[in-house]
Amino acid sequence: MRKILNVDNLHVAYGKFKVLHELSFDVEESQVLGVIGPNGAGKTTLMNALSGLVIPYDGTVVFDGVNITKKSPDERCRHGIGRTYQVPRPFEGLTVFENVLVGAAYGVGKSERAVIAKAVEVLKSTSLYEKSDTVAGRLTLLDRKRLEIARALATEPKLLLLDEVAAGLTDAEVHEVMELVEYLKGTGITIIWIEHVIKTMAESTDKLLCLSTGTGLIYGDPDYVMASKEVEEVYLGVEEE
Amino acid sequence: MRLNAENIKGMLLRYIVAIVILAALFTLPFWGGRYIVMLVMLMGMYITLGHMWNLLAGYSGLTSLGQQMYIGVGGYTLAVASTNLGLPLVVGLIMGGIVSVIIAVGLSYLLLRMKGMYFAIATWMFAEAMLLIVATVSFLGKGQGLFITEARKLVTAQIYYFSIVLVVITTIVIVVLLRSKLGLGLFAIRDNDSASATSGVPQFKSKLYCMIISSFITGVCGGVFYMSQVWVQPYASFSISWTVAAVFIVVIGGIGTIAGPIVGGIIYVFLSQYLSTLSQIGSLNMVILGVIAVAVILVAPKGIVGTVQEKFGFEILSARRWLGKSLAKVPVAPAPASEAERES
Ligand SMILES: Nc1ncnc2c1ncn2[C@@H]1O[C@H](COP(=O)(O)OP(=O)(O)O)[C@@H](O)[C@H]1O
Ligand SMILES: [Mg+2]
Repeated sequence: MRKILNVDNLHVAYGKFKVLHELSFDVEESQVLGVIGPNGAGKTTLMNALSGLVIPYDGTVVFDGVNITKKSPDERCRHGIGRTYQVPRPFEGLTVFENVLVGAAYGVGKSERAVIAKAVEVLKSTSLYEKSDTVAGRLTLLDRKRLEIARALATEPKLLLLDEVAAGLTDAEVHEVMELVEYLKGTGITIIWIEHVIKTMAESTDKLLCLSTGTGLIYGDPDYVMASKEVEEVYLGVEEE
Repeated sequence: MRLNAENIKGMLLRYIVAIVILAALFTLPFWGGRYIVMLVMLMGMYITLGHMWNLLAGYSGLTSLGQQMYIGVGGYTLAVASTNLGLPLVVGLIMGGIVSVIIAVGLSYLLLRMKGMYFAIATWMFAEAMLLIVATVSFLGKGQGLFITEARKLVTAQIYYFSIVLVVITTIVIVVLLRSKLGLGLFAIRDNDSASATSGVPQFKSKLYCMIISSFITGVCGGVFYMSQVWVQPYASFSISWTVAAVFIVVIGGIGTIAGPIVGGIIYVFLSQYLSTLSQIGSLNMVILGVIAVAVILVAPKGIVGTVQEKFGFEILSARRWLGKSLAKVPVAPAPASEAERES
């Protein structure tokens, strides 16, 4: 299988505070890479580095054959990286439809007809179609999470970054979001997926990366990662928080 | 759009209102008194000023405190172009816009790296620096400023038309802009800049376009204003009170709305005329305007237009993209992957 993403020796810091160091891994096309690790391990920071919101001070990120280490977030989006935010960041003054239009209009840049068609398709597949004309600031958390996915999908990403889409939801709502993620997997899109639900992650990912205070602690097949002593130590220690 | 009776009635009503307002504006000098003509002329300029500050602060998160720079540059360019170079006034006005754009683009590479307070203070600093330069160059009349000799030949009614054409064009530009793809991107930047960036909206380019449009039109507006004054003087034309007026207009009217600066501009001109009959102390009037603005922010943070729109659920000059209307305009085939189909 073709490698769509290659992260090599990545170092990221906020000012002097080092968050990620010596992190290396690959993602193959159409696969799902799960990322687990305790709070503060640097999972969201990894998303930020991949989507361009922070620029690493060392290391390289190669996506789809292009070195994107220093590219801006909007360039990366047009290049095929879509993302969601752990704490949803909708365009609150715009309607659900308009939120998705932003992604569709700027992500690939097509004719007006194609943009509207894309928006409608995405709204339907994320169960938001009925709420198209609702102002995003009035949505429930579940719908905000859906909107995060919808807006990212509208940009037609080759790689989708999901940052804790299930966090903060009730069990029933988690179930709904998980169904949506299953659907995404079915479309063949490459996914990097951060989540705290360890069991789900072990079952429904192709590879797992466990982060612990910024270093790729262990990386490989889910069974191998879950069985490792390191993960047990890092993870069980914070599970109950 | 489907043509049912309701739609046709709404459309007709809108066209009729627009035509009546435009007809009244363009015939005013023939039936209105001199004072009214002067007031409406000022409104045209202040609404334009408000629109352009709103474009920066209300839509792209660029809280400029330096709009007076373009007013001054517009006035001075007009003076030099018409008096020194002997060019027609209209050419001088446009040149004022162009020189403003050149300055804005030159500064943008510095300014657009800053956010919030830093951007605000930097724009103010550059405007002050420009004032100091202009006030020391003898070619530009130092502290005395320059006469716009050619403008003396114009009567108020003629300058009135410059102002009305300017505000009508500006309003049309704003509506068209906000309904375009760039407008959609600006709304996104306004609501969340990082999410807009990761959704593909180019930050630098979108903001640069806003700065270009805003500096051009504000520059022309400065030219039109100093045409009516005949004399452009550095401390008045580069005064922060221009931006204070713009902020007042937009905050009172409703930031981030198209109709806001129109309502705010009308109120501002009436108020400042009334205040100037009470006292001749400019700074005292500025304090009173400030108090009124703060009161409005406390009572109705979204301004008059924003509050009215929220209460009654409609928008004047809306840039909203409703699903139904978009589908009526661009019919698309129903998408395959609906929730129901997926689960079956
Ligand atoms: N913008 C920021 N500025 C400074 N420190 C940050 C910032 N964002 C995150 N951090 C810090 O970086 C570390 C990793 O955070 P994060 O990537 O959000 O972890 P995770 O998503 O795994 O919970 C934490 O210690 C956090 O406090
Ligand atoms: Mg996180």
